[in-house]
Amino acid sequence: MSGYTILSLDELEPVPHRDSNLLAVRDALGFRAAGINAWRADAGGQLIPPHEEVSGNEELYVVVRGRATFTVGEETADATAGTLVFVPPRVMRTAHAEEAGTIVLAIGGTVGQPFVAHGWDTYAVADALRRSGRLEEGRAVLRRAMADSTGFWALPYNAACWEALAGNADAAFAHLHSALELNERDVREYMEHDGDLDSLRGDPRWQELLE
Amino acid sequence: MNVVHVDELDRIEMPDGFVWRPVRRRFDIRAFGVNAYTPREAGAQVVEEHTEKTLGHEEIYLVLRGRARFTLDDDVHELGQGQLVHVRDPAVRRGAVALDADTVVLAVGGKPGEAYEISAWEAMFAAVPAMQQERWDEAIAIHEAALEERPDHPALLYNLACMEARAGRPLDALLHLQRAVELEPSWAEHAQRDSDFASIRDEPGFPAA
Repeated sequence: MSGYTILSLDELEPVPHRDSNLLAVRDALGFRAAGINAWRADAGGQLIPPHEEVSGNEELYVVVRGRATFTVGEETADATAGTLVFVPPRVMRTAHAEEAGTIVLAIGGTVGQPFVAHGWDTYAVADALRRSGRLEEGRAVLRRAMADSTGFWALPYNAACWEALAGNADAAFAHLHSALELNERDVREYMEHDGDLDSLRGDPRWQELLE
Repeated sequence: MNVVHVDELDRIEMPDGFVWRPVRRRFDIRAFGVNAYTPREAGAQVVEEHTEKTLGHEEIYLVLRGRARFTLDDDVHELGQGQLVHVRDPAVRRGAVALDADTVVLAVGGKPGEAYEISAWEAMFAAVPAMQQERWDEAIAIHEAALEERPDHPALLYNLACMEARAGRPLDALLHLQRAVELEPSWAEHAQRDSDFASIRDEPGFPAA
């Protein structure tokens, strides 16, 4: 393996995520120094899902192609290709495309902390594969992500959902067990209402897990 | 809103042909390294030839506009707008020449597994215009600001000593040079030959080779 990889943003298949289309750059490259992804939309489409960085991430957005309107807090700005927008944590931000094929790159990280890939982007890739019927490919992506992950609970949790839906109770319980070990509070809350897990509720292992 | 177009960023022309467009400094980003580079003209360097062996940084170079010819060790790749190279191995020698005059390359980097630390070279680059025009007080102030965050950075201390010697501040220059040599003893020999120190070399306390 050479020490570098070349990639065109146009090679990446857009992944539907929170009403936007993610180009999962970090996942494709295995970049370890910062969070880095891109978003693509046509005129009127949402580029950046509205959110605050509750994790404390500083983020820089770069308009790579096309034109976008950014809304950060109460302000809006027109951003042509080559525009850079910096957003501190805990400020609501979103962006929409004004031209076909607009691409915005997003780079993020937390001050004073090493970058840790939690894997939300990889999960989005896996989930898109599952939704388009490419279950085995999605399962392989999740397996790889869980092997690399530093402990993002949603990866094993979602793997459990997949296996439950596919009728693989043993595998589903094993993943749920891992997810609970990583974040008991959130996983318990999701387990309570998640219809994907209904096939497991009558199993004696369900109660054992929750006790 | 903190917004700027890449063409509005400061232009700091470096001696070997590339122009540094400081992004991280502009926004005071502290979570990762990010900068843009443009060429002096078509055919000129846009990414300096270097490795990341010293800092251990993993880097991405994205062509934001125009085209660039990248050299990665012995390989050559021509990249256009929207294409990037991810250099995972810090030992890979990398550099790029702009094929269009308006080429812009965005570089993003940091050391995996470690919190980002502002690289000392940024202050050294930022001080280049002031140094070229012998505006020593301004160049010194840029280094002093960087040293507030990295007080024991030997290269920043050494550079500061050079500029203080040029600015006619022999005592400050000696103190900073002594500290730099304490941290990097091998630089004592270099200091003996460095023309920046011509005015203080005979002063008592100048580090012996």
